[in-house]
Amino acid sequence: MAYSFPSDPWAAAYKVAINGNPKYATAGKDWTHGAVALLVKSDETIGIGADMAVLLDVHAGVCNAATYMTGEQAREKAPFVVEGPYDNWKKLIVENQDPIKALMQGKLKLTKGHLPTIIRYVESSKQLLASAQTVDTAFLR
Amino acid sequence: MGALNYAARIELSKGAEDNGLAGMVASLILQNLQDKPQKRVDFAKMRGRVAIVAEDARVAMTLEFQGNMLTVHDGIVGVPDVTVRAQSEDIIQMSLVELTPRLALPDFRGPALKEIMAKSRSGAIHVFGALTNFPLVFRLTRLLSVN
Repeated sequence: MAYSFPSDPWAAAYKVAINGNPKYATAGKDWTHGAVALLVKSDETIGIGADMAVLLDVHAGVCNAATYMTGEQAREKAPFVVEGPYDNWKKLIVENQDPIKALMQGKLKLTKGHLPTIIRYVESSKQLLASAQTVDTAFLR
Repeated sequence: MGALNYAARIELSKGAEDNGLAGMVASLILQNLQDKPQKRVDFAKMRGRVAIVAEDARVAMTLEFQGNMLTVHDGIVGVPDVTVRAQSEDIIQMSLVELTPRLALPDFRGPALKEIMAKSRSGAIHVFGALTNFPLVFRLTRLLSVN
């Protein structure tokens, strides 16, 4: 069954995918810096009327929760927020793009959080993305 | 030097706001200066232009150091004193270079620097102008390092 991205069911499936990825468990084992929000910018053409996000409560290589919420809530709750337009997230997930390259190209932006900390956990970021690629995803376009 | 407002001393020039690499490097330098006061000494002494090209991402930027001031440009602007050409993940690797505890010298026993040196030898990373601008490269290495 394909889960619509982004949505509550997709977030739930993503949590399972992260916890089923042994490479993430290893790469993220030292991550103790708090939740990370993956934020999709609003896009009226596909029915996303406001910024929406999946907030990942990740700690020590385990995803304790993946919660779908508004971008505003995510910006308040998460110490790290990565934002981008829908199509860029889709490309990242479908085409297995490197998240660091996407940041350098300006396709995604770290809008909140301590960059040196993120840089220390590059492999962890890659494995979070790799986990997303294993979720059976239906895109809105 | 601790009283300086570093946020006001690092400027993104017009066009650089949309360059992700430029934004990342500028914020990395700013956060390093805020977190690690010892890096401010290097920042104050740096003068010259450093171009960084992320070849796989097809993005380039120029850092223009003017002693306690930094302007970050989109693309290659002016004649760079030093040019770094590498893959995006290798550029990130450069910011993971380990520094020795007491003197904050690049640690040649550290895995990050070993990997960079190996890639430089194999031609995967090019640093043009390093030999003639050694102090600038040395200070840049310390400034960019998150360690």
